[in-house]
Amino acid sequence: MMSTLAMDAMSSVSLAHYLTTSAILFVIGLIGFLTRRNMIVMFLCTELMFQAAAIAMIAFGRFHLDVSGQVFVIFILTIAAAEAALALGLVVLLYRRRETLSAEAWSELREA
Amino acid sequence: MNCRTVSVAGYGDDSYLCRTSSGVDSEFVRRLIRGPATTKASAWMDPSIPYTACVLGAASLYLLVRPGRPTVKVLAGLVGLTVFVWLATAAAGQLAGRGTWPEPFFLIFSVIAISAAVRMVTHTKPVYSALYFILVVLASAGMFLMLEAEFMAFALIIVYAGAILITYMFVLMLAQQAAEPGSEAEQAEYDRLPREPAAAVVVGFIMLALFTNMIFGPEDSVSQTLEPRYTEAEAATLAWNELDQMSILRDEMVDRYMEGRSPLKAEDNTSIVRVRDDGTAFVTVSPEGGAGATEDIDLPSSAKPVNVQRVGWALIAQFPVSLEVAGIILLMAMFGAVVLARRQIELGEAELHAAAGMSHYSDETDSTESDS
Repeated sequence: MMSTLAMDAMSSVSLAHYLTTSAILFVIGLIGFLTRRNMIVMFLCTELMFQAAAIAMIAFGRFHLDVSGQVFVIFILTIAAAEAALALGLVVLLYRRRETLSAEAWSELREA
Repeated sequence: MNCRTVSVAGYGDDSYLCRTSSGVDSEFVRRLIRGPATTKASAWMDPSIPYTACVLGAASLYLLVRPGRPTVKVLAGLVGLTVFVWLATAAAGQLAGRGTWPEPFFLIFSVIAISAAVRMVTHTKPVYSALYFILVVLASAGMFLMLEAEFMAFALIIVYAGAILITYMFVLMLAQQAAEPGSEAEQAEYDRLPREPAAAVVVGFIMLALFTNMIFGPEDSVSQTLEPRYTEAEAATLAWNELDQMSILRDEMVDRYMEGRSPLKAEDNTSIVRVRDDGTAFVTVSPEGGAGATEDIDLPSSAKPVNVQRVGWALIAQFPVSLEVAGIILLMAMFGAVVLARRQIELGEAELHAAAGMSHYSDETDSTESDS
Protein backbone atom coordinates (compact mmCIF):
# COMPACT_ATOMS: atom_id res chain seq x y z
CA MET A 1 0.00 0.00 0.00
CA MET A 2 1.18 3.48 -0.75
CA SER A 3 2.12 5.61 2.15
CA THR A 4 -0.66 7.72 3.46
CA LEU A 5 0.26 11.03 1.96
CA ALA A 6 2.07 9.90 -1.14
CA MET A 7 -0.80 11.14 -3.24
CA ASP A 8 -0.26 14.68 -2.12
CA ALA A 9 3.46 14.53 -2.59
CA MET A 10 3.54 12.96 -6.02
CA SER A 11 0.64 14.39 -7.88
CA SER A 12 -1.29 17.56 -8.04
CA VAL A 13 -4.77 16.40 -7.15
CA SER A 14 -6.13 18.68 -4.51
CA LEU A 15 -9.33 18.75 -2.57
CA ALA A 16 -10.57 21.36 -5.04
CA HIS A 17 -10.55 18.81 -7.85
CA TYR A 18 -12.77 16.41 -5.98
CA LEU A 19 -15.06 19.18 -4.81
CA THR A 20 -15.37 20.51 -8.35
CA THR A 21 -16.21 17.08 -9.71
CA SER A 22 -18.71 16.61 -6.93
CA ALA A 23 -20.32 20.00 -7.56
CA ILE A 24 -20.60 19.32 -11.29
CA LEU A 25 -22.18 15.92 -10.69
CA PHE A 26 -24.61 17.45 -8.21
CA VAL A 27 -25.63 20.17 -10.63
CA ILE A 28 -26.07 17.68 -13.46
CA GLY A 29 -28.31 15.62 -11.19
CA LEU A 30 -30.27 18.75 -10.27
CA ILE A 31 -30.73 19.71 -13.91
CA GLY A 32 -31.79 16.19 -14.69
CA PHE A 33 -34.32 16.22 -11.89
CA LEU A 34 -35.75 19.48 -13.21
CA THR A 35 -35.85 18.57 -16.88
CA ARG A 36 -36.82 14.92 -17.01
CA ARG A 37 -40.49 14.02 -16.91
CA ASN A 38 -40.15 10.31 -16.29
CA MET A 39 -40.67 9.67 -12.59
CA ILE A 40 -38.12 6.86 -12.40
CA VAL A 41 -35.44 8.92 -14.12
CA MET A 42 -36.19 11.77 -11.72
CA PHE A 43 -35.47 9.42 -8.82
CA LEU A 44 -32.31 8.29 -10.58
CA CYS A 45 -31.20 11.90 -10.70
CA THR A 46 -31.64 12.21 -6.95
CA GLU A 47 -29.37 9.18 -6.63
CA LEU A 48 -26.84 11.07 -8.73
CA MET A 49 -27.01 13.95 -6.27
CA PHE A 50 -26.46 11.50 -3.39
CA GLN A 51 -23.43 10.23 -5.25
CA ALA A 52 -22.01 13.73 -5.59
CA ALA A 53 -22.48 14.33 -1.88
CA ALA A 54 -20.71 11.06 -1.14
CA ILE A 55 -17.69 12.06 -3.21
CA ALA A 56 -17.49 15.40 -1.41
CA MET A 57 -17.72 13.75 2.01
CA ILE A 58 -15.05 11.16 1.29
CA ALA A 59 -12.76 13.80 -0.18
CA PHE A 60 -13.16 16.01 2.89
CA GLY A 61 -12.56 13.03 5.15
CA ARG A 62 -9.44 12.08 3.24
CA PHE A 63 -7.98 15.54 3.43
CA HIS A 64 -8.74 15.80 7.14
CA LEU A 65 -7.52 12.25 7.84
CA ASP A 66 -10.85 11.42 9.39
CA VAL A 67 -13.02 8.41 8.59
CA SER A 68 -16.24 10.11 9.68
CA GLY A 69 -16.82 11.09 6.06
CA GLN A 70 -16.86 7.44 5.08
CA VAL A 71 -19.23 6.63 7.93
CA PHE A 72 -21.59 9.28 6.61
CA VAL A 73 -21.40 7.73 3.17
CA ILE A 74 -22.52 4.46 4.73
CA PHE A 75 -25.59 6.28 6.03
CA ILE A 76 -26.13 7.85 2.60
CA LEU A 77 -26.11 4.35 1.13
CA THR A 78 -28.66 3.28 3.73
CA ILE A 79 -30.97 6.17 2.97
CA ALA A 80 -30.58 5.65 -0.76
CA ALA A 81 -31.50 1.99 -0.42
CA ALA A 82 -34.54 2.78 1.73
CA GLU A 83 -35.60 5.53 -0.63
CA ALA A 84 -35.22 3.31 -3.67
CA ALA A 85 -37.34 0.58 -2.10
CA LEU A 86 -40.15 2.94 -1.10
CA ALA A 87 -40.08 5.27 -4.07
CA LEU A 88 -40.01 2.50 -6.61
CA GLY A 89 -42.90 0.75 -4.87
CA LEU A 90 -44.86 3.98 -5.05
CA VAL A 91 -43.93 4.50 -8.69
CA VAL A 92 -45.20 1.05 -9.57
CA LEU A 93 -48.48 1.81 -7.79
CA LEU A 94 -48.82 5.12 -9.62
CA TYR A 95 -48.04 3.44 -12.90
CA ARG A 96 -50.82 0.93 -12.33
CA ARG A 97 -53.30 3.75 -11.80
CA ARG A 98 -52.53 5.87 -14.85
CA GLU A 99 -50.56 3.54 -17.14
CA THR A 100 -47.91 6.19 -17.59
CA LEU A 101 -44.66 7.17 -15.89
CA SER A 102 -45.04 10.84 -16.70
CA ALA A 103 -44.90 13.08 -13.68
CA GLU A 104 -47.39 15.41 -15.34
CA ALA A 105 -50.07 12.74 -15.18
CA TRP A 106 -50.35 13.68 -11.54
CA SER A 107 -50.26 17.41 -12.01
CA GLU A 108 -53.72 17.83 -10.49
CA LEU A 109 -52.01 17.28 -7.14
CA ARG A 110 -50.28 20.62 -7.43
CA GLU A 111 -51.59 23.83 -6.03
CA ALA A 112 -54.32 25.14 -8.26
CA MET B 1 16.67 5.83 15.26
CA ASN B 2 16.08 8.49 12.70
CA CYS B 3 14.16 11.24 14.40
CA ARG B 4 13.42 13.50 11.47
CA THR B 5 12.26 16.93 12.37
CA VAL B 6 8.69 17.63 11.51
CA SER B 7 8.70 20.57 9.19
CA VAL B 8 5.41 22.21 9.95
CA ALA B 9 5.36 25.82 10.89
CA GLY B 10 4.17 26.28 14.40
CA TYR B 11 5.48 23.05 15.84
CA GLY B 12 8.03 24.21 18.29
CA ASP B 13 8.31 21.05 20.28
CA ASP B 14 8.83 17.85 18.35
CA SER B 15 8.19 15.78 21.42
CA TYR B 16 4.48 16.36 20.91
CA LEU B 17 4.59 13.61 18.35
CA CYS B 18 6.16 11.17 20.78
CA ARG B 19 3.26 11.21 23.17
CA THR B 20 0.99 8.25 23.53
CA SER B 21 -2.70 8.47 22.90
CA SER B 22 -3.50 8.69 26.56
CA GLY B 23 -1.26 11.68 26.87
CA VAL B 24 -1.94 13.49 23.63
CA ASP B 25 -1.58 17.16 24.11
CA SER B 26 -4.80 19.00 23.38
CA GLU B 27 -2.86 21.67 21.54
CA PHE B 28 -1.45 19.01 19.26
CA VAL B 29 -4.91 17.68 18.53
CA ARG B 30 -6.20 21.15 17.88
CA ARG B 31 -3.41 21.79 15.41
CA LEU B 32 -4.10 18.53 13.66
CA ILE B 33 -7.74 19.39 13.34
CA ARG B 34 -7.40 22.99 12.31
CA GLY B 35 -3.93 23.05 10.91
CA PRO B 36 -1.29 25.58 11.78
CA ALA B 37 -2.63 29.08 11.78
CA THR B 38 -0.39 30.10 8.91
CA THR B 39 -1.80 27.56 6.48
CA LYS B 40 -3.19 29.34 3.47
CA ALA B 41 -3.15 28.54 -0.17
CA SER B 42 -0.52 30.62 -1.84
CA ALA B 43 -2.20 31.50 -5.10
CA TRP B 44 -5.88 31.99 -5.74
CA MET B 45 -7.55 31.06 -8.88
CA ASP B 46 -8.60 33.86 -11.12
CA PRO B 47 -12.40 33.95 -10.62
CA SER B 48 -13.00 34.48 -14.32
CA ILE B 49 -11.84 30.93 -15.06
CA PRO B 50 -14.59 29.05 -13.18
CA TYR B 51 -17.26 31.56 -14.23
CA THR B 52 -16.35 31.24 -17.91
CA ALA B 53 -16.34 27.49 -17.49
CA CYS B 54 -19.81 27.67 -15.95
CA VAL B 55 -21.21 29.70 -18.84
CA LEU B 56 -19.68 27.41 -21.48
CA GLY B 57 -20.79 24.32 -19.59
CA ALA B 58 -24.33 25.68 -19.28
CA ALA B 59 -24.49 26.35 -23.02
CA SER B 60 -23.25 22.89 -23.92
CA LEU B 61 -25.51 21.14 -21.42
CA TYR B 62 -28.50 23.12 -22.72
CA LEU B 63 -27.74 21.95 -26.25
CA LEU B 64 -27.46 18.40 -24.95
CA VAL B 65 -30.68 18.44 -22.96
CA ARG B 66 -33.05 19.81 -25.55
CA PRO B 67 -33.97 17.69 -28.54
CA GLY B 68 -31.80 18.45 -31.51
CA ARG B 69 -29.60 17.03 -34.19
CA PRO B 70 -26.97 14.47 -33.15
CA THR B 71 -24.05 16.37 -34.68
CA VAL B 72 -24.89 19.44 -32.61
CA LYS B 73 -25.05 17.25 -29.52
CA VAL B 74 -21.69 15.62 -30.17
CA LEU B 75 -20.11 19.03 -30.67
CA ALA B 76 -21.72 20.38 -27.50
CA GLY B 77 -20.52 17.36 -25.54
CA LEU B 78 -16.97 17.84 -26.78
CA VAL B 79 -17.08 21.52 -25.82
CA GLY B 80 -18.35 20.63 -22.35
CA LEU B 81 -15.64 18.03 -21.80
CA THR B 82 -12.93 20.41 -22.96
CA VAL B 83 -14.23 23.03 -20.58
CA PHE B 84 -14.06 20.60 -17.66
CA VAL B 85 -10.52 19.50 -18.49
CA TRP B 86 -9.54 23.15 -18.83
CA LEU B 87 -11.01 23.92 -15.43
CA ALA B 88 -9.28 20.95 -13.82
CA THR B 89 -5.97 21.84 -15.42
CA ALA B 90 -6.19 25.46 -14.42
CA ALA B 91 -7.04 24.45 -10.87
CA ALA B 92 -4.11 22.08 -10.77
CA GLY B 93 -1.71 24.64 -12.13
CA GLN B 94 -2.78 27.45 -9.87
CA LEU B 95 -3.57 25.72 -6.63
CA ALA B 96 -1.02 22.98 -6.45
CA GLY B 97 1.69 24.75 -8.35
CA ARG B 98 3.47 21.49 -9.04
CA GLY B 99 2.54 20.94 -12.63
CA THR B 100 -0.24 21.74 -14.97
CA TRP B 101 -1.95 18.37 -15.17
CA PRO B 102 -3.80 16.62 -12.42
CA GLU B 103 -3.08 12.98 -11.87
CA PRO B 104 -4.19 11.00 -14.94
CA PHE B 105 -6.28 8.58 -12.90
CA PHE B 106 -8.27 11.41 -11.41
CA LEU B 107 -8.78 12.97 -14.82
CA ILE B 108 -9.92 9.66 -16.30
CA PHE B 109 -12.34 8.87 -13.51
CA SER B 110 -13.85 12.33 -13.33
CA VAL B 111 -14.22 12.62 -17.10
CA ILE B 112 -15.96 9.23 -17.15
CA ALA B 113 -18.19 10.18 -14.23
CA ILE B 114 -19.20 13.55 -15.62
CA SER B 115 -19.77 12.46 -19.18
CA ALA B 116 -21.74 9.42 -18.04
CA ALA B 117 -23.81 11.67 -15.78
CA VAL B 118 -24.55 14.00 -18.71
CA ARG B 119 -25.47 11.04 -20.87
CA MET B 120 -27.68 9.68 -18.11
CA VAL B 121 -29.56 12.95 -17.81
CA THR B 122 -29.93 13.42 -21.55
CA HIS B 123 -30.64 9.91 -22.77
CA THR B 124 -34.21 9.41 -23.90
CA LYS B 125 -34.36 5.74 -22.96
CA PRO B 126 -34.69 5.31 -19.18
CA VAL B 127 -32.97 1.91 -19.18
CA TYR B 128 -29.90 3.48 -20.74
CA SER B 129 -30.06 6.23 -18.13
CA ALA B 130 -29.85 3.60 -15.42
CA LEU B 131 -26.94 1.88 -17.17
CA TYR B 132 -25.07 5.17 -17.45
CA PHE B 133 -25.67 5.77 -13.78
CA ILE B 134 -23.94 2.46 -13.08
CA LEU B 135 -20.98 3.90 -15.00
CA VAL B 136 -21.08 6.99 -12.78
CA VAL B 137 -21.06 4.73 -9.73
CA LEU B 138 -18.10 2.74 -11.01
CA ALA B 139 -16.13 5.88 -11.81
CA SER B 140 -16.77 7.36 -8.40
CA ALA B 141 -15.76 4.05 -6.83
CA GLY B 142 -12.46 4.56 -8.63
CA MET B 143 -12.21 8.01 -7.09
CA PHE B 144 -12.93 6.50 -3.67
CA LEU B 145 -10.02 4.14 -4.23
CA MET B 146 -7.81 7.12 -5.00
CA LEU B 147 -9.01 8.71 -1.78
CA GLU B 148 -7.99 5.57 0.13
CA ALA B 149 -11.56 4.67 1.00
CA GLU B 150 -11.32 1.08 -0.16
CA PHE B 151 -14.22 -0.24 1.87
CA MET B 152 -16.59 2.44 0.63
CA ALA B 153 -15.51 1.85 -2.97
CA PHE B 154 -16.49 -1.79 -2.87
CA ALA B 155 -19.56 -1.19 -0.75
CA LEU B 156 -20.64 1.38 -3.31
CA ILE B 157 -20.28 -1.07 -6.17
CA ILE B 158 -22.06 -3.85 -4.30
CA VAL B 159 -24.88 -1.79 -2.85
CA TYR B 160 -25.41 0.82 -5.55
CA ALA B 161 -24.53 -0.91 -8.78
CA GLY B 162 -25.45 -4.35 -7.53
CA ALA B 163 -28.63 -3.79 -5.58
CA ILE B 164 -30.21 -0.35 -5.95
CA LEU B 165 -29.65 0.05 -9.67
CA ILE B 166 -30.86 -3.46 -10.38
CA THR B 167 -34.06 -2.59 -8.52
CA TYR B 168 -34.39 0.47 -10.74
CA MET B 169 -33.86 -1.65 -13.84
CA PHE B 170 -36.54 -4.10 -12.74
CA VAL B 171 -39.06 -1.35 -12.11
CA LEU B 172 -38.20 0.33 -15.40
CA MET B 173 -38.79 -2.87 -17.25
CA LEU B 174 -42.01 -3.53 -15.34
CA ALA B 175 -43.38 -0.08 -15.96
CA GLN B 176 -42.07 0.54 -19.45
CA GLN B 177 -44.69 1.04 -22.06
CA ALA B 178 -44.20 -1.25 -24.99
CA ALA B 179 -43.30 0.65 -28.12
CA GLU B 180 -45.99 0.49 -30.72
CA PRO B 181 -44.66 -1.49 -33.66
CA GLY B 182 -44.31 0.67 -36.71
CA SER B 183 -44.76 3.97 -34.94
CA GLU B 184 -42.26 6.71 -35.60
CA ALA B 185 -41.48 7.62 -32.03
CA GLU B 186 -40.08 4.69 -30.13
CA GLN B 187 -40.14 6.43 -26.80
CA ALA B 188 -43.02 7.94 -24.96
CA GLU B 189 -43.48 11.66 -25.36
CA TYR B 190 -42.52 12.34 -21.75
CA ASP B 191 -39.15 10.73 -22.34
CA ARG B 192 -38.36 12.59 -25.53
CA LEU B 193 -39.21 16.15 -24.57
CA PRO B 194 -37.55 17.81 -21.61
CA ARG B 195 -39.40 20.11 -19.26
CA GLU B 196 -38.15 23.70 -19.21
CA PRO B 197 -34.55 22.92 -20.22
CA ALA B 198 -33.39 26.54 -20.38
CA ALA B 199 -34.66 27.50 -16.94
CA ALA B 200 -33.29 24.32 -15.36
CA VAL B 201 -29.85 24.77 -16.91
CA VAL B 202 -29.68 28.41 -15.84
CA VAL B 203 -30.69 27.55 -12.28
CA GLY B 204 -28.27 24.64 -12.12
CA PHE B 205 -25.28 26.54 -13.38
CA ILE B 206 -25.94 29.54 -11.18
CA MET B 207 -25.73 27.04 -8.37
CA LEU B 208 -22.51 25.64 -9.83
CA ALA B 209 -21.07 29.15 -10.04
CA LEU B 210 -21.86 29.52 -6.34
CA PHE B 211 -20.14 26.23 -5.59
CA THR B 212 -17.03 27.16 -7.54
CA ASN B 213 -17.00 30.51 -5.81
CA MET B 214 -16.97 28.64 -2.52
CA ILE B 215 -14.26 26.26 -3.68
CA PHE B 216 -11.95 28.69 -5.42
CA GLY B 217 -12.95 31.92 -3.76
CA PRO B 218 -10.49 34.14 -1.98
CA GLU B 219 -10.97 34.06 1.75
CA ASP B 220 -12.95 32.37 4.47
CA SER B 221 -13.85 29.67 2.03
CA VAL B 222 -13.35 25.98 1.58
CA SER B 223 -10.12 26.63 -0.23
CA GLN B 224 -8.31 27.30 3.00
CA THR B 225 -8.28 23.57 3.46
CA LEU B 226 -6.89 22.86 0.03
CA GLU B 227 -3.25 22.44 0.88
CA PRO B 228 -2.28 19.13 2.38
CA ARG B 229 -1.50 19.97 5.93
CA TYR B 230 -0.21 16.71 7.30
CA THR B 231 3.26 15.39 6.96
CA GLU B 232 3.61 11.65 6.72
CA ALA B 233 4.83 11.52 10.29
CA GLU B 234 1.73 13.27 11.54
CA ALA B 235 -0.56 11.02 9.54
CA ALA B 236 1.28 8.00 10.94
CA THR B 237 0.89 9.39 14.44
CA LEU B 238 -2.84 9.65 13.96
CA ALA B 239 -3.01 6.09 12.64
CA TRP B 240 -0.97 4.73 15.54
CA ASN B 241 -3.14 6.56 18.02
CA GLU B 242 -6.17 4.96 16.45
CA LEU B 243 -4.54 1.56 16.75
CA ASP B 244 -3.85 2.29 20.38
CA GLN B 245 -7.54 2.89 20.99
CA MET B 246 -8.60 -0.37 19.37
CA SER B 247 -7.43 -2.47 22.28
CA ILE B 248 -8.12 -5.93 20.92
CA LEU B 249 -6.59 -5.26 17.54
CA ARG B 250 -3.64 -3.58 19.22
CA ASP B 251 -2.94 -6.57 21.46
CA GLU B 252 -3.25 -8.94 18.50
CA MET B 253 -0.79 -6.89 16.49
CA VAL B 254 1.64 -6.66 19.36
CA ASP B 255 1.46 -10.39 19.96
CA ARG B 256 1.97 -11.13 16.29
CA TYR B 257 5.07 -9.03 15.90
CA MET B 258 6.46 -10.25 19.17
CA GLU B 259 6.84 -13.78 17.88
CA GLY B 260 10.31 -14.83 16.80
CA ARG B 261 11.75 -11.51 17.77
CA SER B 262 11.83 -11.55 21.47
CA PRO B 263 11.20 -14.12 24.15
CA LEU B 264 9.29 -11.49 26.05
CA LYS B 265 5.54 -11.46 26.14
CA ALA B 266 3.78 -8.15 26.10
CA GLU B 267 1.78 -7.59 29.20
CA ASP B 268 -1.64 -6.22 28.57
CA ASN B 269 -1.07 -3.05 30.45
CA THR B 270 2.25 -2.27 28.88
CA SER B 271 1.35 -2.92 25.28
CA ILE B 272 0.65 0.68 24.60
CA VAL B 273 1.79 1.84 21.22
CA ARG B 274 4.11 4.76 21.41
CA VAL B 275 5.05 6.90 18.46
CA ARG B 276 8.34 8.49 17.60
CA ASP B 277 8.36 11.76 15.77
CA ASP B 278 9.34 10.14 12.48
CA GLY B 279 6.09 8.22 12.46
CA THR B 280 7.38 4.85 13.53
CA ALA B 281 5.92 3.19 16.57
CA PHE B 282 7.15 0.85 19.24
CA VAL B 283 5.88 -0.99 22.27
CA THR B 284 7.76 -1.48 25.48
CA VAL B 285 7.71 -5.01 26.78
CA SER B 286 8.93 -6.37 30.04
CA PRO B 287 9.83 -9.96 30.85
CA GLU B 288 7.22 -12.17 32.40
CA GLY B 289 7.04 -11.78 36.10
CA GLY B 290 8.25 -8.23 35.91
CA ALA B 291 11.94 -8.99 36.47
CA GLY B 292 14.58 -7.82 34.06
CA ALA B 293 15.04 -4.92 31.75
CA THR B 294 12.29 -3.69 29.49
CA GLU B 295 12.74 -3.70 25.77
CA ASP B 296 11.39 -1.56 22.95
CA ILE B 297 10.08 -3.40 19.94
CA ASP B 298 9.34 -1.64 16.70
CA LEU B 299 6.02 -2.15 15.00
CA PRO B 300 6.10 -2.36 11.20
CA SER B 301 3.92 0.11 9.39
CA SER B 302 1.74 -2.77 8.21
CA ALA B 303 0.48 -3.02 11.77
CA LYS B 304 -1.49 0.20 11.31
CA PRO B 305 -5.25 -0.22 11.16
CA VAL B 306 -6.47 -0.51 7.60
CA ASN B 307 -9.42 1.33 6.14
CA VAL B 308 -12.04 -1.29 7.00
CA GLN B 309 -10.88 -1.44 10.60
CA ARG B 310 -10.93 2.32 10.93
CA VAL B 311 -14.41 2.65 9.43
CA GLY B 312 -15.74 -0.13 11.62
CA TRP B 313 -14.17 1.40 14.66
CA ALA B 314 -15.66 4.80 13.88
CA LEU B 315 -19.08 3.23 13.34
CA ILE B 316 -19.03 1.44 16.66
CA ALA B 317 -17.18 3.94 18.80
CA GLN B 318 -18.37 7.28 17.44
CA PHE B 319 -21.73 6.69 15.77
CA PRO B 320 -23.47 3.79 17.53
CA VAL B 321 -26.84 5.54 17.75
CA SER B 322 -26.74 6.53 14.10
CA LEU B 323 -26.03 2.93 13.24
CA GLU B 324 -29.13 1.81 15.13
CA VAL B 325 -31.22 4.52 13.50
CA ALA B 326 -29.98 3.44 10.08
CA GLY B 327 -31.03 -0.10 10.87
CA ILE B 328 -34.48 1.08 11.93
CA ILE B 329 -34.82 3.12 8.75
CA LEU B 330 -33.99 0.07 6.66
CA LEU B 331 -36.50 -2.01 8.60
CA MET B 332 -39.21 0.62 8.16
CA ALA B 333 -38.44 0.86 4.45
CA MET B 334 -38.80 -2.90 4.20
CA PHE B 335 -42.17 -2.78 5.99
CA GLY B 336 -43.26 0.10 3.77
CA ALA B 337 -42.30 -1.72 0.60
CA VAL B 338 -44.16 -4.84 1.73
CA VAL B 339 -47.27 -2.84 2.62
CA LEU B 340 -47.18 -0.96 -0.68
CA ALA B 341 -46.69 -4.10 -2.66
CA ARG B 342 -49.45 -6.12 -1.04
CA ARG B 343 -52.23 -3.60 -1.39
CA GLN B 344 -52.33 -3.68 -5.13
CA ILE B 345 -53.42 -7.32 -5.49
CA GLU B 346 -57.15 -7.54 -5.13
CA LEU B 347 -58.20 -10.80 -6.63
CA GLY B 348 -61.56 -12.37 -6.30
CA GLU B 349 -62.19 -15.60 -4.46
CA ALA B 350 -62.16 -17.71 -7.59
CA GLU B 351 -58.89 -16.26 -8.88
CA LEU B 352 -57.25 -16.84 -5.51
CA HIS B 353 -58.23 -20.46 -5.62
CA ALA B 354 -57.07 -20.82 -9.18
CA ALA B 355 -53.77 -19.18 -8.39
CA ALA B 356 -53.25 -21.52 -5.47
CA GLY B 357 -54.05 -24.50 -7.65
CA MET B 358 -56.97 -25.47 -5.46
CA SER B 359 -59.88 -24.87 -7.75
CA HIS B 360 -60.92 -28.51 -7.65
CA TYR B 361 -61.36 -28.50 -3.88
CA SER B 362 -64.74 -28.22 -2.23
CA ASP B 363 -66.03 -24.86 -1.04
CA GLU B 364 -65.62 -25.59 2.68
CA THR B 365 -61.89 -26.27 2.53
CA ASP B 366 -61.41 -23.37 0.14
CA SER B 367 -62.97 -20.88 2.49
CA THR B 368 -60.71 -21.89 5.37
CA GLU B 369 -57.66 -21.69 3.13
CA SER B 370 -58.48 -18.28 1.77
CA ASP B 371 -59.32 -16.84 5.17
CA SER B 372 -55.92 -17.53 6.55
